Amino acid sequence: MIRVLAVSYPINPPCPYGVHNWTCSRFPHVKPKLNSRSWRARASSDADSSSSSSSSSSPFAPSIDSDPTDKNASGFCIIEGPETVQDFAKMELLEIQDNIRSRRNKIFLHMEEVRRLRIQQRLRNAELGISKEVQENELPNFPSFIPFLPPLTSENLKQYYVSCFSLIAGIIIFGGLLAPTLELKLGIGGTSYEDFIRSMHLPMQLSQVDPIVASFSGGAVGVISALMVVEINNVKQQEHKRCKYCLGTGYLACARCSSTGALVLIEPVSTISGGDQPLSPPKTERCSNCSGSGKVMCPTCLCTGMAMASEHDPRIDPFD
Amino acid sequence: MSAVLCVVCPKENAHSLLSLMPRNYCRCSSSNKLSSKLSFSSGVTAYSSAVANPSRSAEERVYEVVLKQADLMREHRRKTAMDLEKPIENDGNTNWNLLNEAFGRCREVTAEYAKTFYLGTLLMTPERRRAIWAIDVWCRRTDELVDGPNAMHITPKALEIWETRLTDLFEGQPYDMYDAALSYTVSKYPVDIQLFKDMIEGMKLDLRKSRYKNFDELYLYCYYVAGTVGLMSVPVMGIAPESKASIDSVYNAALALGIANQLTNILRDVGEDAIRGRIYLPQDELAQAGLSDDDIFRGIVTDKWRSFMKGQIKRARMFYDEAEKGVSELNFTSRWAVWASLLLYRQILDAIEANDYNNFTKRAYVAKAHKLASLPVAYARALMRPSKLAKFELGPKMNQIIYK
Repeated sequence: MIRVLAVSYPINPPCPYGVHNWTCSRFPHVKPKLNSRSWRARASSDADSSSSSSSSSSPFAPSIDSDPTDKNASGFCIIEGPETVQDFAKMELLEIQDNIRSRRNKIFLHMEEVRRLRIQQRLRNAELGISKEVQENELPNFPSFIPFLPPLTSENLKQYYVSCFSLIAGIIIFGGLLAPTLELKLGIGGTSYEDFIRSMHLPMQLSQVDPIVASFSGGAVGVISALMVVEINNVKQQEHKRCKYCLGTGYLACARCSSTGALVLIEPVSTISGGDQPLSPPKTERCSNCSGSGKVMCPTCLCTGMAMASEHDPRIDPFD
Repeated sequence: MSAVLCVVCPKENAHSLLSLMPRNYCRCSSSNKLSSKLSFSSGVTAYSSAVANPSRSAEERVYEVVLKQADLMREHRRKTAMDLEKPIENDGNTNWNLLNEAFGRCREVTAEYAKTFYLGTLLMTPERRRAIWAIDVWCRRTDELVDGPNAMHITPKALEIWETRLTDLFEGQPYDMYDAALSYTVSKYPVDIQLFKDMIEGMKLDLRKSRYKNFDELYLYCYYVAGTVGLMSVPVMGIAPESKASIDSVYNAALALGIANQLTNILRDVGEDAIRGRIYLPQDELAQAGLSDDDIFRGIVTDKWRSFMKGQIKRARMFYDEAEKGVSELNFTSRWAVWASLLLYRQILDAIEANDYNNFTKRAYVAKAHKLASLPVAYARALMRPSKLAKFELGPKMNQIIYK
């Protein structure tokens, strides 16, 4: 079992954002968290323990609300500003690698804790008789890619199958049995290609078409256009999930260096002495805002590119 | 140390603030930002009595902001007339590619999130409408920070940093492309930074406050989140040159429109807000009408509720009436858009009445047919010239309107 160096979470008085952030969220999938005082008290008593246990009664479960304010001494903040890049800019490579490794480990452990907590939550819900509501980040159904059709779930997937097959069967029966019968017995239909082409005033050579070729082309055109419609709908839905501010890239152009990544240093040049020397090309310095990448974090999607970011969404790398 | 390229350098706002003679009113209880920063050169006769009164109402405090905006605009006009302010048209430092792309994005974001509003802005001149889009995108981004899908990760420190970015962009140091668009906008039009800061304040308020004791508190909130927007847009819309009305009154009308819009929102969304545990109705008026928070959470329409809502709607309509007085004073190209939005939004109140005051379960919306019908009416009203009469003073009279 890997022992993890715990970060002690200094406890502040309850952050005002903690309690009310949830109640004012407009999105039904976010459930209000129970900010029980007892957790905070426990966490504060264990704050100076230097190792964590990975049992489910781990004290390291202050609610997420108190986390961001006090992550580390330098005051990490999720929104970037002109000065925030300095947080990690002074570290050496080895230090950075260690930091990355330890944080990834923490994320891993936190995910495990979330899983165990969810189990407990479910048990409590069952005890109290609370009916299971839609959990966060779970999609019990997903919209159909075909326009105008209702959303798919595992229940109505069966219905989809049934209706699909019966439709195909019906068409085959109609084409293979009904139509010829009607034609023979009642004389309905039976328009030949020739008659049809003639009535539509199209060139007569179209009526010479091979029936196999005709039915194949018709089927193929139908299938291809159906697939196109589905694809277009798919793209529209994906776009819908994309962050509109950065268009899914996760980044916005840095205004300081105008997305070049470099700042031109303006140094006053004296024209009195050394006036005959040619001007040297201006020196450039790496833009501190964007660390030379030319783009800065999109504060709406927090570099995930998604309209609604979750902890699972990978953060896009600016240098890609 | 190294110097850094400036993208845009708006200096007007700083100059106007410095040129105003400081005459700060002393306040006994000043926990809000408005009081410490306000100073204006014109004496306000209506409020000499307010100085003595230690706790001034929200209306009075907001009125001070309005007067300050009017002063800023006068200052700006004076300077432009005397050619002191050289418009930064071909500043070699401005990156036009980035700026044009930024404005293009602002346009797309506005079109995506506020279709009706976007269509309305198309009625304005290109310069003005992209300025409005830039302002709208900033307000929307700020709103997303505290109320969007990722709002749970936002802390007070994050809002502080956001405010730092705001101050920087006003000084010509925008952080990202949308900030750059706004930075350019405020360099062209005399918009006060205080309005943006007040909007952030309003967002913060929304996070810690879910009940409002009286209309005064609610008025302040409405000013923060909607009145500021109205005031921000006046310099962009522009006052018609032939208008004889005072600048104060136009700003007041804009403020009234913002308040009216917000009150309409509130009255329409009573049910939705209740689900999230928030009641944006004055507690004292609810008590007066014999209603409690539980009545709202229960969501049943009673006669008490109907009569209460009637009073609220009446008050919202009064704000619209106040706003109407000022719309005609705007530039012609902006008048149609503003009239259209006013008439459309006002109809929501009618829709609430048509729903038998059931704003718990029914969402009051204006049918497309009504929306379309408003357009020609708005156009007709936009044709009305600015008032040629002597100045009509609009002052806050709301405290005189007794809620029945």
